[in-house]
Order: sequence, then structure tokens, then C-alpha cells
Amino acid sequence: MSEESVRAGEGRDALRVVLVSAGLSVPSSTRLLGDRLAAAVVRRAAGDGAGGTDVIDRTDVTQGADGAASGSGSGAGSRNVEVQVVELRELAVEIAHHFTNGFPGPSLAAALRAVTEADALIVVTPVFSASYSGLFKSFFDVMEKDALAGTPVLIGATGGSARHSLVLEHAMRPLFAYLRAVVVPTAVYAASEDWGADGLAERIERAAGELAGLLGGAGARRRAPAASPAGAAVEDVVPFAERLAALRR
Amino acid sequence: MQFGIFSVGDVTPDPTTGRTPTERERIKAMVALALKAEEVGLDVFATGEHHNPPFVPSSPTTMLGYIAARTERLILSTSTTLITTNDPVKIAEDFAMLQHLADGRVDLMMGRGNTGPVYPWFGQDIRQGINLAVENYALLHRLWREDVVDWEGTFRTPLQGFTSTPRPLDGVPPFVWHGSIRSPEIAEQAAYYGDGFFHNNIFWPADHTKRMVELYRARYAHYGHGTPEQAIVGLGGQVFMRKNSQDAVREFRPYFDNAPVYGHGPSLEDFTEQTPLTVGSPQQVIERTLSFREYAGDYQRQLFLMDHAGLPLKTVLEQLDMLGEEVVPVLRKEFAARRPAGVPDAPEHASLVAAAKDTGRERTEGVSTV
Repeated sequence: MSEESVRAGEGRDALRVVLVSAGLSVPSSTRLLGDRLAAAVVRRAAGDGAGGTDVIDRTDVTQGADGAASGSGSGAGSRNVEVQVVELRELAVEIAHHFTNGFPGPSLAAALRAVTEADALIVVTPVFSASYSGLFKSFFDVMEKDALAGTPVLIGATGGSARHSLVLEHAMRPLFAYLRAVVVPTAVYAASEDWGADGLAERIERAAGELAGLLGGAGARRRAPAASPAGAAVEDVVPFAERLAALRR
Repeated sequence: MQFGIFSVGDVTPDPTTGRTPTERERIKAMVALALKAEEVGLDVFATGEHHNPPFVPSSPTTMLGYIAARTERLILSTSTTLITTNDPVKIAEDFAMLQHLADGRVDLMMGRGNTGPVYPWFGQDIRQGINLAVENYALLHRLWREDVVDWEGTFRTPLQGFTSTPRPLDGVPPFVWHGSIRSPEIAEQAAYYGDGFFHNNIFWPADHTKRMVELYRARYAHYGHGTPEQAIVGLGGQVFMRKNSQDAVREFRPYFDNAPVYGHGPSLEDFTEQTPLTVGSPQQVIERTLSFREYAGDYQRQLFLMDHAGLPLKTVLEQLDMLGEEVVPVLRKEFAARRPAGVPDAPEHASLVAAAKDTGRERTEGVSTV
């Protein structure tokens, strides 16, 4: 975290947005889309209009760095947003091991914690075989049930042509609806051709504005830190006598 | 502090020879390990309970009764007894019978079981797992403490004027542990009754075990059974030893790489770093085991899983020799030296009888006066 961003966040809790990217190549167009979405969310949350420069200072959770903040706006509705990036590519082996072992390795545990504690998520995947990638789905398969309940989510996908764009509506949106996340109305799809055409920037701005509108607003909550895979926190325990009484006829 | 072994009772091929033991061989091997445990000075043998292949121990009290007849000191226990799908009335009867035959050398560990189809096979619903554990144990608890029970609940047919026989030996029920890996509800249940809590940490990282044990300790104190430090905690662990650690790793690796529970996942090195699995010299096993108290506090029972991954009986018997001769004597000394005053031992029949007399709650039948 840079000195400047520490000062920017001083006295005011920065909101945490986690970008989950399932892009596989380095660099990847999926990650590129995710970065554009994240930068736009930071700008919109800060109260700047569209078209501001990308000032985001990202960090990669999967590499264990601290989160970085940016977008120190000055308007009344401005909010500091800290963006953390989870690159699923780097977690692929630990995700597979979680399936076989039942518990996450250290890097995956850090990523799951970051996502669970996030104020909002930006999730982006390439389209594979008519849906999100298997790696993308696997990451959300190993999350604790209820971990995303109530979390605002912006969904994005990339593909070779525009023919796959409804994957966002027919696969991504139902997945996050099932997880009881709050998915913003605009989903952003980027085909290869979109990187040289009009329209993508506007869709990014619109989606980012929708997510920024949900950030820290009414009904938003900063989730309590995930205590454990079992969520074993003393304050969450139902007293035994209550549990027993519920079974008495 | 008690040291012992627990067996899952899996029939697993030896990956180095391709040979799979018969059910008979595996059952007899479990008995041989129990006898060896007593011979080398261990305190506890516990068997799992399963109702599907490739596991053999479906009838724990039959096996433990046989072992009881061939041992003198060993405490016979379970890991675990399925409180969800067994009839609590039958558990009360079976283990009271075993208690008499074994002269009190009996305790048991309650568990829910995580094999989905076992629930419907026994007429239950896995979605009711926690509730089954709660109601069934509440009934079991009464059957061992009240001579005549009238009872009505959600899951079992009602009882009117029922007496579970035989009555517990000396009027003192077997000590009960509650085993759970992930469920805070079970830690809460153990705390409520002042029973023991066993965290089978063998496939779990230390920070998870720490949180579950801390929860149990806090709730144990909340219910007035003592301080958090006085709560009764048990832990698992699994090891493979040779005099030189390189030999241990070389010999165990093909077993690790192919075992259904270990293989085809992380490397042996990653797995030993992230879980209690220790593959190395007896000294390494001692150091690793002593480190458990750093996150679980001073605890009362340490059970080792030794017959894992398809290891042949001969090898496991050698492992038990090393455990009994080189590891456990040092652990007893070192744990005792570190344990503060006021941390109790795990309850055993004699101490439970003495405690019952102290509080004047003992039944008159069969209490021996010393």
C-alpha cells in the first residue's frame, strides 16, 4: 500500500472491492476487462465523472500483498475504494486440492477471506464451452455457503465473438442469484472486436456506476471476518437448551 | 494424559504390492493392533463405525467386547459411534453391557457420520443430522441416569416406563466425547453436558482446530463446568516413523501418493506442513505432537491414526513398538512438565465413581466402597 493511499484512507474506512479474474493467459483480455471495470468503479465511487484517468493502484491478494486504495474524491458522496485482485490462475492447484482435501491451502484461504469480506465484487471470466470457465465455477464451489449473500456483484465475460454474450445472462447471473448476491443490472461482455469498437467504454461506465451506487449504501454491510471454514464464532452459537427445546413436542 | 490409537477400519490395497487384505484379515488386524497397544503401554484403542465398503467395523461393541476379554488395562472407545443413525436405546444397552464386561474400561465418542446414504439406509434424513445428534444424545443421557424413562421426541418412537438394561456399571455411565470437525453446534453440545470434545484434526490446518477447541472451552466455562483450561479435549494425529526421517519419507511416499484419503492431491511435503501428518523420526513426531498444545491448550487425550493408507499389519505393529517405546514415554514426561496445576486428566471409570460419591449422586446399586 502506498503512503499516499494510506493518507487518503485515513479516518475513513475504505470500501473494499475485490476483482476475481479467471483469465488464463498473461496478459489476459479477461483481466484487462476486469481492470477497466475496477478503475471505473473507483472513479464512480469517488464521485468523478466518466472519462477520468486510471489512477487505480491495485494489489494482488493471491500474491499476499496489502490492499491499495485510490480514488480520493472530494464530493459529499465520494467514497474511498480499495481494490484487491484475485487471479484464479495462480490458485488453480490449491482449488483442485481443496476439492480433494476439504480445506484450502494458504493462498486460497487468503483469497476466500478477501472475497467473503468484500463490500462488492467484480467477477470476470472467459467463455468456455457455452458457460463460465470450469476454474471460475470451481472457485465459487469451494466458497462457504452464504459467503456472498447480499454482496453487490458486477459480472463480466470475454470471448472471441459476440455470439457468446448471453452467457452473462444465462449462466453468470443465475449462479450469483443462487448465491444470493446482488447482481447489478448491466453485465459487461467484451468480444475481441469490442476492443476496437465503440460501446464497450459506455457499458463499463454504466455497470460501474450501478455497482458504485450500491457500495456502502443502504442495506450494504461489511461482513464480519470469516472466522473459520466452520464459521465457529462464539457469538454465533445457538445455546444448546434452545436447540433441544425446539425438538420437544 | 491418555495416549492411544484409533482405526478407521478401511480395507485399502497395499499400493506397493497391489494386495488387498480380506475382511477377516482386516478385522483380525484391528484386534492385533489393540492388543499391541496395550502391550506397548498405550492407554486407548478406538474403532470407527461404518456401514459401507470398504470399511469393516459395523459392529463396534462386538469387536471391543472381544478385545476387552484379551486385555487388562486398555480403555476401549469409539471414533465415532453414530448418534444420528443408531437407536440411542441400543447404544445405551450395548455400551452398558460392554462396560460391565470390561470392568469399566469403556468410553465412547459420538459422531454424526458424513456418508450420505447411511442416513436413509437407517431410516433417517441427513439434513436432520444435527437435530438427530441433539435429540438422540439427550435421550441416551437420560437412559443412563434415570432408572425409568418416559420419553417422547421427534425422531424415535416414544418410551413409556422403559428401563435400559444393564444399568451402567456402579451407576456411572461411560464418559462421552463428542467428535466434530466442522460443526460449532457439536462443540456447544459437548460443553453443555460437560462432556469431552474431540477434534479429529488429521485433515485440518491448525488454525481451524484452534477455533473449534476455543469455542468448546469458552462454552464449557459458560455452563459452569470449570475454567476453559479445565475442559476435556482430545485430538487426533497421524504419523509414520523410521529411525532416519529420510527412510520414513521414502517408505511412506508410495502409500501417501496412492491412498484414497491422501493421494492425488497435494504433495507429501505440503500435506505434512498443513495438517498434523508427520512422516519422519520419532523425535520429529515428539516435537510435532508437543506443538499441538500451543494451539489447542493442554489437553487430555491424544489418539494416533497408525493403520492408514494400506500399510501392512507387520509395518503397523513396528510403528506401534516405536510409538510405545520411543515416543509416548517422552510425550508423557514433556506434556506433564508443561501442564499447569488444575488441568484435569480425562475422566475414567474410577475417577467418575469417586466423583459421583463426592457429590452424593451415586446410585446405591453396585457402588463399591473403598
